Amino acid sequence: MVRAALATKRKIGQGPKTLAVFLPAATVIAASLLAALPIVAAGGWYPDFGFLVLISWRLLRSDPWPGWWAGPMGLVNDLLTGGPIGLSVALWSATMLALDLVDRRTMWRDYWIEWGLAALLIAIDKWLQWRVAALGGARVPIEAIVPPLVLSICVFPLSAWLVSRADRWRLGR
Amino acid sequence: MATARPGWSRRAQYSLFFSFLALIAGILVGLFLLALSLLAPARYDAVRGAALDITGPIASSLHAVTETAKGLVTGAGNYWDAANQNSGLRRERDAMRRQIIQAKAIMQENRQLKATLQLRETQHDAIAIGRLVGSSFSSPRRFAILSVGSSDGVRIGMPVRSPDGLVGRVIDAGALASRVLLVSDRANIVPARLLRGGIPVISQGRGDGTIDVRPLEVGRNPFKRGDIIITSGTGGLYPPLVPIARIVKLDDDGAVAIPIADPANTNFAIVEPPYEPAAIAAEGP
Repeated sequence: MVRAALATKRKIGQGPKTLAVFLPAATVIAASLLAALPIVAAGGWYPDFGFLVLISWRLLRSDPWPGWWAGPMGLVNDLLTGGPIGLSVALWSATMLALDLVDRRTMWRDYWIEWGLAALLIAIDKWLQWRVAALGGARVPIEAIVPPLVLSICVFPLSAWLVSRADRWRLGR
Repeated sequence: MATARPGWSRRAQYSLFFSFLALIAGILVGLFLLALSLLAPARYDAVRGAALDITGPIASSLHAVTETAKGLVTGAGNYWDAANQNSGLRRERDAMRRQIIQAKAIMQENRQLKATLQLRETQHDAIAIGRLVGSSFSSPRRFAILSVGSSDGVRIGMPVRSPDGLVGRVIDAGALASRVLLVSDRANIVPARLLRGGIPVISQGRGDGTIDVRPLEVGRNPFKRGDIIITSGTGGLYPPLVPIARIVKLDDDGAVAIPIADPANTNFAIVEPPYEPAAIAAEGP
């Protein structure tokens, strides 16, 4: 092997950004803040941006933040999006727990498995939102959640790509 | 979080164990908060209002930017087709003028009739006028964010309308912004009636921007395409005679309608006091 192949490509001065530890959580909250966009939509067909970015980070790496941060981040998401308070706290914590258990079982990962996992998690998220809305007095027919679900699943690769770029940027690679 | 098997280190094993415990605690706290928000939603009024004061102004300022951009585009389009539009508008104006004269005569007659009946009606002034600057766009619920809040006199429960028709009612009020439950939300049930014939109906949102309309009396389907639904004033919250929706499709025992005050195209929304506060107080939560 030639010596050049062993040399690192790293340039002097490159490295993790300051506050790199907090960047993943900050991006999740920023995604929740997208709820403040001045979009007045007739139907709720847009994806759940906060949840998408959360699972994108967690599927990309196992340590974007200490697991318990998911609870407070969920609370912020509930407050910003105006959803029922507590739903995201429980759901996001449960998601972290579920993915920790999945990490113990899976032997290998590829894009399709990640996408499948994400689709499953998004489906659970949408179904729970529908269920809680029904408990809160707004029983929408179940077919109504299918189009936003499909849309969210299709948007996930984009969110995963953006998150992987953000991860490389924060670590200075 | 640590890897799946932390090895022999007692410290690593403990930290993994405690992180699992923390997650389970997070789930339990979340479920508790959720149960509270379903059973006693009024407990969160203050904190939800405070959160609205963060997102509301952001949405308002962004809204101004998008409105300007939209205005430039539509402005250019109007110039493009000016001659055609001009003649069309002139025709419309003449038709309108005739209708206005008719309506004025009817109003005068109505006033005289009411005077003979000695019917008393309180005049309601608008409490605040704001813009719809945002909406819930990732949930089965239909909410909109209104750019006026409790500092302008807005209180939870007040009806909101636009010059075109009914928009909904206030469910969260921050100091600077408030959240409106739109008429297209599933949980928003409005007592209404058909403009043609005055048959009492119930309007309930479908969660996708449209409204379900059902007649109170079971039997023949009284609806026709193009019918207008207006509020009846029953219940005391919404003022009567406000247009709600136009029927676009019939189904077996009712019809599907679309709101006349389309929240996406509503520039101004007017917050009014509840129509009969006494009736609402008597009903009580």
